[in-house]
Amino acid sequence: MTDNKKGSWLTVALLTPTSMWFLFMLVMPMIVVVIFSFGERSAVGGYVASFTFDQYANLPARLKAFTNTLTFAPIGTFLSLIIAYPLAYYLAVKVDRRWRLLLLVLVIVPFWTSLLIRTYAWIFILGGRGIPTLLEFIGLEGIRMINTPFAVYVGIVYGYLPLMVFPIYVSLEKLDKNLLEASNDLGGTPWRTFMQVTLPLSMPGVATGCMLVFILLMGEFLIPAFLGGGKIFFLGNALVDLFVQSRNWPFGSALAVTLVIIMVVTVSLYMRLTLGGKNGRDQSLM
Amino acid sequence: MSKSYKDNMPITAKKFMEEFRRYEKGSVSRRHFMGVTGLGTAAAVLGSAMPSMMPKSAKAGSLGDRLIFSTWPNYHNPVNVENFTNDTGVNIQINAFGSNEEMLAKLQAGATGWDVFVPTNYTISNYVDLDLIQELDLSRIPNHDPSSQNPMFADPATVNGKVYAVLKNWGTTGIVYNSKNLKNGPTSWKDFFDLTMGEGSGHTIVHDYQLTTIGAALCANGHSFNSVDAGELEMAEKLLIESKPHLFAITSDYQPGMRSGDAWMSICWNGDGLQLNKDLPEMKYTLASDGGEIWSDFYCIPKDAPHVDAAYAFINYLLDPKVQVLEFESHGYATGDTRVEALLPAETADNEILFPAAKLMNGLEFGAANTLTDPIRAEVIARFKSA
Amino acid sequence: MRLYSIAVYLFLYIPIGIIVLFSFNSGRHASDFQGLSTMWYGKALSNPFVMESLVTSLIIAFAAATLSSLTGTAAALALQRMRGPMRVLFDGLIYISITIPGIVIGITTLVALVTAFDIVNPILADMWPEGVKPPKLSLGYASVIAAHTLFTMSLVIVLVRARIAGMDRALIEASTDLYATPWRTFYQITLPQIFPAIMAGFLLSFTFSFDDFIISFFVAGPNTTLPIYVFSSIRRGITPEVNAIGTIVLAFSLILLVTAQFLLRARNERK
Repeated sequence: MTDNKKGSWLTVALLTPTSMWFLFMLVMPMIVVVIFSFGERSAVGGYVASFTFDQYANLPARLKAFTNTLTFAPIGTFLSLIIAYPLAYYLAVKVDRRWRLLLLVLVIVPFWTSLLIRTYAWIFILGGRGIPTLLEFIGLEGIRMINTPFAVYVGIVYGYLPLMVFPIYVSLEKLDKNLLEASNDLGGTPWRTFMQVTLPLSMPGVATGCMLVFILLMGEFLIPAFLGGGKIFFLGNALVDLFVQSRNWPFGSALAVTLVIIMVVTVSLYMRLTLGGKNGRDQSLM
Repeated sequence: MSKSYKDNMPITAKKFMEEFRRYEKGSVSRRHFMGVTGLGTAAAVLGSAMPSMMPKSAKAGSLGDRLIFSTWPNYHNPVNVENFTNDTGVNIQINAFGSNEEMLAKLQAGATGWDVFVPTNYTISNYVDLDLIQELDLSRIPNHDPSSQNPMFADPATVNGKVYAVLKNWGTTGIVYNSKNLKNGPTSWKDFFDLTMGEGSGHTIVHDYQLTTIGAALCANGHSFNSVDAGELEMAEKLLIESKPHLFAITSDYQPGMRSGDAWMSICWNGDGLQLNKDLPEMKYTLASDGGEIWSDFYCIPKDAPHVDAAYAFINYLLDPKVQVLEFESHGYATGDTRVEALLPAETADNEILFPAAKLMNGLEFGAANTLTDPIRAEVIARFKSA
Repeated sequence: MRLYSIAVYLFLYIPIGIIVLFSFNSGRHASDFQGLSTMWYGKALSNPFVMESLVTSLIIAFAAATLSSLTGTAAALALQRMRGPMRVLFDGLIYISITIPGIVIGITTLVALVTAFDIVNPILADMWPEGVKPPKLSLGYASVIAAHTLFTMSLVIVLVRARIAGMDRALIEASTDLYATPWRTFYQITLPQIFPAIMAGFLLSFTFSFDDFIISFFVAGPNTTLPIYVFSSIRRGITPEVNAIGTIVLAFSLILLVTAQFLLRARNERK
């Protein structure tokens, strides 16, 4: 009994800081934002108290931002996956052990310059004096790359590739080499071995990588802002715009609440589909 | 700023060569003056050549060592900023903004840390109403001479009989286009949008700024640049959204896109037009026959500016006529200050980009105070961008 | 396969190469190469705003990583024994704080804090004696650190919990059987086992906080972090100074990595 009591005091003590954080930095701000989302924009911008559903009714005015986000995020995730998978496979299965660590580290190193600077480099590479000038030498004139969906996809894949390579590498690395040999010995073609043994076993890594990239893309702001020329708006851009230009806090709040709901619903569905149940949750967040 | 494209580029038009030499004379005499007064040419030269050789403490004066300055792109001469730092030990952090609304949003959220910023005429009465800027103590800005100011541009500085701002520059909002790509350039906002959706598709830049971008579309439809009429704004929004697939970018920093050749046409402020034209003669600046903006920009000090002494010193320094000449040399905007105009070469007065013909000037409007906070205009530009 | 990998590495490194190359540009414009010079390194290193934003970023990242490691580990240890509705509640909160985008964290924190300050500041001003300047709460270090920690703390919880789940229970039971105090068991058995996860959490948190732009953009108030400095440099027309900063940060991280690797190897060999 006393032991138990002591234990529960300890639990409370250990959880107090975290609880405070969740309360003051997550729950209360969320409540404030929900309250704001029912308010109105004041005459000069900002917020005035009110109770109206106008902000939510106005959401269709940002329809394109929703559809952009919901197409670029899954497609960008998929592109990152198909580009990252062969590399992860190569690193985990084919490369000589001595080189493996070095090559792996080389995948993360680009991460250590600011995302902003790396994205900026692409403005130059894809801009008029970059690749299009090179293409002119081989006779392809008038190709524009910067400020197009293509540029945004390049930025996405470049920005998030390492996040995809890592989890896949980890799951492939754990893979038992004997299984592959057994499959080969049994006369399986390399393709069949891959489809029936390697791919299924690497699914947890694929699921984790996809979720990480997808979550980050849903709130992306910088890549479309820099490589989309201010023309391709994600929800993140629409949100920033409402706070730093239009000063429409209530509508911004409504948009933020909606984005959170979309995120929670899609990510929960995704986890249920790929990993199934509660057990999967912790794994997938790794 | 930091985009004095002249620094490393050959000057193309002969006329500009001559102007340039005269400006340089101004610069030389200023250095000379500094040498005589003991501030030292050596310090300035050393400082700009080897900034790391200048220990902060050796220069630091009573003004502190920092100042945060919010302004617009391509709007300052880096040499002036460096000289101020060398003279006073005050380092300047420059933030560039693309719209007055963005500046207002920052100030409304509070705690900006700004010491000086550059708002446009139509915003000042709003800032005073919102209690966001300080009344200025003109005795601390001896280089400001009210009698030399053109009242047409300087008047918005005074609200309810109190002075809250001092005039920086004035200019017009028109169109810049690359005449190599567009043989028949636009002469009106209507042309601007027609070319965007026709011959020049994919190569137009509009500002990320409600006043000029919505204003341009309003003028193209034959309405006032400043309209807040719901029906007229709806038509403007329709035109903007229709043209959006044909745009190269939505940004108020349009010089890089124009210079790289990606963009052929942009909404443009006249000094930027002059900068572009000076380096690349195929860049033409024109006012639109169906309207546009005439504006003046000011220096203001926010209410909660942390370094007020440095702010006054910096504004005073920038208003020194000789410094203003150097500024003009870099950004190409007229001053509305007769003392500065007297120092400029005679041909400047004939420059059509700087001083447009009266016929075209008459069609221009000053931005109206209510456009800054108008909810419909704010939402129209936001919908256009996210469309 | 090998060719493909080489192509991917080229894709990863060409932009980095361009950043580094242009940091040695002697011209004023980042995109216009004029000749070799280290001038921009001098400018970046002597620019007090660059150094200050670097220090600000380091302070914020270090504080956020330390706070998250401590509170996150504590919470993970507590949650491991917890069942029932409280556990579900905490799981839900952890899950939400990892899932919601940084941009939403930034905006909700801004909106909530500005509202709270508007309420608290007049009260503080009333309470203060006449003639003394009352304290004024505003956005700053504390708000950025707190907002970053929300996300990184949850990250640490998840990492440490996964490690606890994979821990050898028999050792703890053996320790208890041998009448070790709970504190000793924790210190000698549990901590060494979960330590790698805490370290990983600390490093991830540090990296996240150091590179974060969007949250800081909204809640940093007058403080400038390095990403905010870079963002405003890009907006006012980028000079090679930004490339120089990027290269310095990259070089610094590489040196840290090599040193860490070297130290680890040395320790392993001694063993």
